[in-house]
Amino acid sequence: MLIRSMSSISRALTFAAVVSVSLFGALAPALSAQQTDSARIAELERRLDAVSLELERLSLGMDVVQADSSIMGLGPAASKVYQVTQGVSIGGYGEILYENFDSNREDNAPATSLDVIDALRAIVYFGYKFDDRLLFNSEVEIEHANEAYLEFAYLDYMLTESIGARAGLLLAPLGLVNELHEPPVFIDAKRSFTENRIIPTTWRENGVGLFGNGETLTWRLYVMNSLNGAGFNASGLRGGRQRGIRALSESLGVAARADYVGVPGLMVGASGFFGGTGQGRELNGTRVDANLLVWDAHVVYEAYGFDLRALVAGASLDDAAELNQLNALAGAAGVGDEMLGWYVEGGYDVLNRMETEHQLHPFARYEKLDTQQSVVPGFTAGPANELTAVSLGAAWRPAPQVVVKVARQLISNEAETGTDQWNVQLGWLF
Amino acid sequence: MRHGFLVTLGLAVCATFAPAVGGGRVDAQEMTQEQALRLAFPPPARVERRTAYLDESHLARARALAGRDAEIESTVVSYYVGFEGDRPLGAAYFDAHRVRTLPEVLMIVVDTAGRLQRVELMRFAEPPEYSPPARWLGQLIGRVLDDDLSERRGIAGITGATLTTRAVARAARRVLALHQVIDPFEVGPP
Repeated sequence: MLIRSMSSISRALTFAAVVSVSLFGALAPALSAQQTDSARIAELERRLDAVSLELERLSLGMDVVQADSSIMGLGPAASKVYQVTQGVSIGGYGEILYENFDSNREDNAPATSLDVIDALRAIVYFGYKFDDRLLFNSEVEIEHANEAYLEFAYLDYMLTESIGARAGLLLAPLGLVNELHEPPVFIDAKRSFTENRIIPTTWRENGVGLFGNGETLTWRLYVMNSLNGAGFNASGLRGGRQRGIRALSESLGVAARADYVGVPGLMVGASGFFGGTGQGRELNGTRVDANLLVWDAHVVYEAYGFDLRALVAGASLDDAAELNQLNALAGAAGVGDEMLGWYVEGGYDVLNRMETEHQLHPFARYEKLDTQQSVVPGFTAGPANELTAVSLGAAWRPAPQVVVKVARQLISNEAETGTDQWNVQLGWLF
Repeated sequence: MRHGFLVTLGLAVCATFAPAVGGGRVDAQEMTQEQALRLAFPPPARVERRTAYLDESHLARARALAGRDAEIESTVVSYYVGFEGDRPLGAAYFDAHRVRTLPEVLMIVVDTAGRLQRVELMRFAEPPEYSPPARWLGQLIGRVLDDDLSERRGIAGITGATLTTRAVARAARRVLALHQVIDPFEVGPP
């Protein structure tokens, strides 16, 4: 019984061995092929992974460095995205403005202003980033098609990620338009009177200072050469800009600005400038300081298709009588010692819910300005310098950086010599 | 120089107050992918790098979802999935795009419900005053891919930095569109 059982087991084992050998013989080539395929697939996967890593590196920047070691199992692409970026940055903006004046003034007398089409500005922006901390920024401007200016040119050195030092030809950090004066950025077809005569945009002077871009607060603090009071007159401070052209620096000034930006879309801030404007001039052997304070408060809200802005600005000038005498200005032609202007404006993109890249912003602005709100004894305030301006228009943007604006501007003043006009602006930014 | 005191005063005020009002921002230029991913998926989370290879139908669908102005050119999309054990936490995408003439790189993290979970500025080569503050980027958190995810609708602007606003909004739409097509938490990438 036992022998029979042993014999059965032996036969079974022999059968199993024969079958195994037969199967091995039959399957061995297939197993070998599978192993070869697995190796090839693994190699292909490795190569694909390498290619995708290389693509990622190229996409995120040529300056991505190789990882020192495998990190979190990510392989060599898990590395610095940004170490050093260098290079030239080029941009630009421009505007062409057509002003069509009514034939009569508000008092029905014939208007004297002639219609004008002006290639107002064409600007090329050049920047160069030397490294993470040091960059150069500039705008080279051609005004009215034949006047070349350096609009600004400065070096920034970042002391920390959010604080930097700046030196060169600087934009005075006042108001809403002076630093952000590209046509697609401001609402109306023309800049406001307030930001033309009290804050004399584009106001740039040579100087040095610090700036900061915090999470809730942005600020600038510059020391600059001051305005030159020799250019002031009854209509404001615009003529006092030295624009960095062999600028007299007998009188310096401090410009400062702070904006709260803690709520997305909202900017609330104020700015000011204080400095002498006598620039070394003397009257009867006495130096005229002509200290000037220019200030503004402003608010901007941009969200949900709305663009709403308000600004109030003023100026106080010491030694206005002496300046007027030096400037040979008398009566109503003298510069005021107090100036005040303000405006509110808003626009809304009526196409913002439509499937189109085009934008259409109807807009409106209401503005009051008085550049002779107060004059020194012996001088009179000219009624024409107290004006009200209302603009109604629309801005069409076929692309966000290109704009065509059409506006009707109604201008009145206390002398009733205001002339209404149509403004058409073509603007671009890139 | 008669107004030398103004210079002294101005610089003294700067030196006194500058550190107090300028701090609080992450040093984006020092941020690495590793650091960004650790922010998105803190240890002991595990991070897995994946690559999706899109075919024409995937690409067309992603483009349709993202909208006309959020360009999608590449058919190869690398992304990183964070896991806690076997449970996915989210997917991180690194989106590189141009702002004006120079690039910006964002890490955009999408949670398992398809909402924006985190947006980190990795690199910004334009002048720093045009860079998007972290607080501004915060308004994107919780957003989904819908009509309001646009600088013309539900995304508030950055005054004076229109191009940055547009670039970030487009990147968010692009990533959410790719995320929907790739669907990384389901059967796997295409």
